[in-house]
Amino acid sequence: MSQPAAAALAQLVERAEALAYDVEYSAVRAWKERHPGALAIGFVPVWAPRELIAACGALPVGVVGGGDKVEIIKGDACYQSYVCHLPRSVVELGLNGRLDCLDGMLFPSICDVIRNLSGVWKLLFPNKLSHYLDLPQDFDPEIGGDFFRAELAQLVELLVARGARRPTPASWRQAITEHNENRHLVEELHALRREQPWRVPTSEAYVVARAGCVLPATEHSALLRDYLALVRAVPRAPLDNARVVVAGAFCEQPPLDLLKTLERAGCYIVGDDFLLAPRFVRADVPLEGDPLAAIANTWLAHAQPHASVWTRAGTKGDDLVALARKAGAEGVLFAAPSFCDPALLDQPMQEAACGRAGLPHMHFKYSENSGQFQGIREQAGTFADAIKLWSGA
Amino acid sequence: MEPLLTGGIDVGSSAVKLVLMRTDGAGREELLGRRVERLRRRDPLEVATRCWHDELLPEAGVRPDEVAYVATTGEGDRIEFRTGHFYGMTAHARGALFLRPGARAVVDIGGLHARAFTIDERAKVLVQAMTSQCASGSGQFLENIARFLGVTLEEIGALSRRSEKPEKCSSICAVLAETDVINMVSRGIKVEDILHGIHDSMAGRYVRLLLTAGARGEVLVTGGLAADTGLVAAMRDDAQRQGSTLEIASHPDSVLAGAIGAALWGAHRQRVLAKRGVVLRADPA
Repeated sequence: MSQPAAAALAQLVERAEALAYDVEYSAVRAWKERHPGALAIGFVPVWAPRELIAACGALPVGVVGGGDKVEIIKGDACYQSYVCHLPRSVVELGLNGRLDCLDGMLFPSICDVIRNLSGVWKLLFPNKLSHYLDLPQDFDPEIGGDFFRAELAQLVELLVARGARRPTPASWRQAITEHNENRHLVEELHALRREQPWRVPTSEAYVVARAGCVLPATEHSALLRDYLALVRAVPRAPLDNARVVVAGAFCEQPPLDLLKTLERAGCYIVGDDFLLAPRFVRADVPLEGDPLAAIANTWLAHAQPHASVWTRAGTKGDDLVALARKAGAEGVLFAAPSFCDPALLDQPMQEAACGRAGLPHMHFKYSENSGQFQGIREQAGTFADAIKLWSGA
Repeated sequence: MEPLLTGGIDVGSSAVKLVLMRTDGAGREELLGRRVERLRRRDPLEVATRCWHDELLPEAGVRPDEVAYVATTGEGDRIEFRTGHFYGMTAHARGALFLRPGARAVVDIGGLHARAFTIDERAKVLVQAMTSQCASGSGQFLENIARFLGVTLEEIGALSRRSEKPEKCSSICAVLAETDVINMVSRGIKVEDILHGIHDSMAGRYVRLLLTAGARGEVLVTGGLAADTGLVAAMRDDAQRQGSTLEIASHPDSVLAGAIGAALWGAHRQRVLAKRGVVLRADPA
């Protein structure tokens, strides 16, 4: 059983990696060919109402940058050197025609750079939908909730105006059900990794999760189900590694080799904030009642604490400590993209919270196209050793 | 406490070092088997696996399942049968303490770089300093020089110590130093004088590294170049010239320090994990 399962697992991971890093967005193009006239709507990190897009008959597509697959030639012209790398590679992908399969792009309000990118997008692609999605910072359902519902209603109208179908009760129900299920499976993936990290290396879990950026929820759920079944069937030996949470990598994504480097350096990543879209809201969207209000209110009540979401003074970092405790982590690696304002501005407060909680931590920076990790490997290696040998763990 | 067998595998850029150790958890630590295999452009993982399973363990009469913990260090973090991995400096620190209990500083001179660091009596690394990217402070550099001069690595130390008039090597850049050496050969400088000059140049860098790391007292040279008696002697001379009180020494097993340290840390971790009831075994699917 284990030999064929191991081969099937390797094949699945290979397929997921191909999907995750395909800068031609072939899966999206194929989906559009199978659904003539249907829209594909991109969104940059960290969150977008995927249920809403799907209820309109469109494909939500996560655009998380070009990583090291894209040489930046035109993208640099739009951004100063002190700006992170993600917008450069997204612009490069757009100008090279790789995002032509998308009929629109959503830019959630997470930082000034993303706001600026939404403006640049409007100028570069005037004929495509380009929408800056304001996320609420007031959590009173009658204030923030009403505002957010109106934002979502406006998005439906924008999509319909572009040729998407107007959602029906049946399409709402189907889309919400499919995305709730996908959320459950993503959570199951992370839960298994927390419990048995040797079974679910982060470098695998990451590509399996990232493949969901270009797949409809049902297809991604099938991939997740297959992966979960296979990793449970393949024997893998646990290592004497330090259990760590990685924080700060929620927008510009860490290179896959960086994740492999951290694991090889002796770390089990048992918690992270990569690819948050399917797990940003930590609860099901209810099927009953007004779907727009349901999405808005679920977001208000269950969006995870995040740099882009208002947090009560003095509590910044508490969620990270709670995540680390839940995951049984022995330390925190702050891994922020260079020039990522939200991550780097929160970091001192999060580090202070870790300090108060007695959680060892260290920090480093990366860029989505970084290719050399020797320095990080040494840092992570000594950090893992310090946890194992000197922290009393 | 129950005696434990643990293995240490140090995969370096030019050689793989393997040891088998027995510890009792009460201070008794015994080196049962050792192996140093030069890579010579072979796959290091393949070499390490073969040396471990086909040579070291059979020679010691030990079955793989009798080894409680296989600890890797260096580039050994891709060895499939490892139990845990320790960073090179951590492993060399512990290995140095095993080989020379009074050592409070280590200079690890490997194939690609050199690193000096101070340690405490528990082998905890305190301060470290490392050579820059340039290869002039590395074993690979010395290997290249030996090749130009037509001598083997094993001959270098004795030849260098025979020198009466070391030729100063003016450069600290590997590329330029190699040019220097070619010029010296053309000028008819004796091989031993060239080697001594090279040793002096390298020794100066290592002593500076040690002083940068705040080293005092006993220093153990570890890594592949620790076996080069000419280099160690040059380091002692350099330290003396600088008025330092560093007591620089090598050990016949210095090249194994990383593997020894990894094996000893592995034994420590195995006992810690056992106390916590953690068993690191492949779980059946």
